[in-house]
Amino acid sequence: MTAGPQIALARPPAGLAQNPIDPVFRQIRDLVYKVSGIYQLEEKLYLLADSCGRRMRQLNVNTPRDYWDRLTAHANRDAEMRSLLNEVTIGETSLFRSQPQVDAIRQVILPELVAEKSKQVIKRMRIWSAGCSTGEEAYTLAMIMLEEKERLLKEWTVEILATDLNDRSVETAKTGIYGDYALRSTTDYYKRKYFTPVDDKKLQVNPEVKKLINFSRLNLQDDSKMLFMKGMDLIFCCNVLIYFDGPSKTKVVNHFFNNLNTGGYFFLGTSESLLKLNEQFHLVHFPGAIGYWKPSLTGKKP
Amino acid sequence: MSTTVAATISERVERIETMPSIPAVLLPLMELLNAPPDKVNLDEVVKLVSYDNTIALQTLRIASSPLFGLSKTPQSIKAAVMTLGLRRVGAMVLTSCLGQAFPTKGWALDPTVFWRHSLGCAMVCRKLSEKLRVIDVDKAYMAGLLHDVGFLVNCLVFSKEFAAALERASQQNTPILEAEQQTMGFTHCDTGRALAEKWKLASDIVQVIAHHHAIEDSQSAQSLVSLVHLGDLLCRMRNLGYGYYERQKVDLIDDPAWSVLLKEYRELENVDLVRFTFELDEDMVEIGMLVSIIFGSGKTAAAP
Repeated sequence: MTAGPQIALARPPAGLAQNPIDPVFRQIRDLVYKVSGIYQLEEKLYLLADSCGRRMRQLNVNTPRDYWDRLTAHANRDAEMRSLLNEVTIGETSLFRSQPQVDAIRQVILPELVAEKSKQVIKRMRIWSAGCSTGEEAYTLAMIMLEEKERLLKEWTVEILATDLNDRSVETAKTGIYGDYALRSTTDYYKRKYFTPVDDKKLQVNPEVKKLINFSRLNLQDDSKMLFMKGMDLIFCCNVLIYFDGPSKTKVVNHFFNNLNTGGYFFLGTSESLLKLNEQFHLVHFPGAIGYWKPSLTGKKP
Repeated sequence: MSTTVAATISERVERIETMPSIPAVLLPLMELLNAPPDKVNLDEVVKLVSYDNTIALQTLRIASSPLFGLSKTPQSIKAAVMTLGLRRVGAMVLTSCLGQAFPTKGWALDPTVFWRHSLGCAMVCRKLSEKLRVIDVDKAYMAGLLHDVGFLVNCLVFSKEFAAALERASQQNTPILEAEQQTMGFTHCDTGRALAEKWKLASDIVQVIAHHHAIEDSQSAQSLVSLVHLGDLLCRMRNLGYGYYERQKVDLIDDPAWSVLLKEYRELENVDLVRFTFELDEDMVEIGMLVSIIFGSGKTAAAP
């Protein structure tokens, strides 16, 4: 058999060949990244094209090139970028959305924090889900902590704060009721252990999980309140920074930095970058996940 | 490493030449690639590459992958050399040759995993050097591609010993390097170096192969060694490792290799590592495709 017929294998990744993406979408992808730190992978570029398509129909804009002008040259460009970002991050939340992040927390971060804090009298772990939306991230964290209660965190108190600007989101979050879509990455093990069926389609988080979390409304731009969020060991802020303009973003991130204990970690969404918003954080790679570490004053490494 | 161990390694590495599957073009090609570009006769290279049909075809297919920047498969080796340049085509032929040079069965290590890691590292090194604009991009690619070539040597001529080392690595959950040292008394860095010297690879590539795990031991080419060290780490953090024990946390900017590079290339400070990481994730598709070109189809094509 000759290698001849197999030459056909040499082709661009599936999807691109049959349906080439307008190069303007790559430009938009880069602009979105520059503005928000959210990166659309090449294979997800069609999703960005879909988001743009929805905006284009709303605006009666016909070509991607014209839409690019709306985002860059138009008087309303900032507002349009925000609308686009809303489209891009829609429907992103689910429980256990990032297994690598869960692994990093359980295998690296918690052991590290426990070792570092073990000399303290009060054994307390404080976690903050900032911009918690309808609570998926907070409950995921709570379940992980409960799992670790049987091992690493035996004598520890765990407090999870979950805040959002939107009252309705907070109320929904408190009920802890989720359907298939939100639970698509939750394994049966967790479903059986920490949930009770509400009807044949939905599950509700058990009280022991809820007990760990304190849901409340908070505006991340409210400086006086932000000052009271001190003493955090872990802060999560997924796809929230996109809602702020440049200077407010920096301010919010600085609040996060200041509210973290030294040695604590800060996480963004899985395809989100901190860009250059805060140079004091150390970028850290875990297998399949990226986090930011707050170094201790002495520069001591964990 | 004792002299007897070194002798064993080189004695066994000698045997690799007798492996039937090694492409005849590989060694002359290596020599050509080491020569200064103005001393190389283009027609000679084209002749050499075209000599082995399988390799010529694979090279053209690799050339058409987005990694090498051509949207269409070049029609001939000569056309590829004209558009891409000698060094780049050299890197592609090397990729293809390596895929052919080693058997596909009876490996202690999963060959697809090996190729994914090697090509991933090659790609990372190449892209990082593009951003730094100082280290030659094709040199970086070759260095990344070859850094773990010692594993191939291990599979070929130390198969039993290496299998034992891997067994130990998975049972005791230790890094392969440690397990090699403990069970064999030498590592893929030593065996890779022996092969690299036998193949008369450029001395900076030899340094990379020998010292990518301990950059402080490299006597020269420390920036290239550092580049590969970082590329290797990043690959392991993005699901392109070997599936054995990996470090659970990597602070690349805090790594000594980063400081070495930064001293020479201030440009490194401006590299957006997070975006770089996302772009590596994007390249997974590409890497998978390259693996199937050089490895998957190489299997069938090699049969007469």
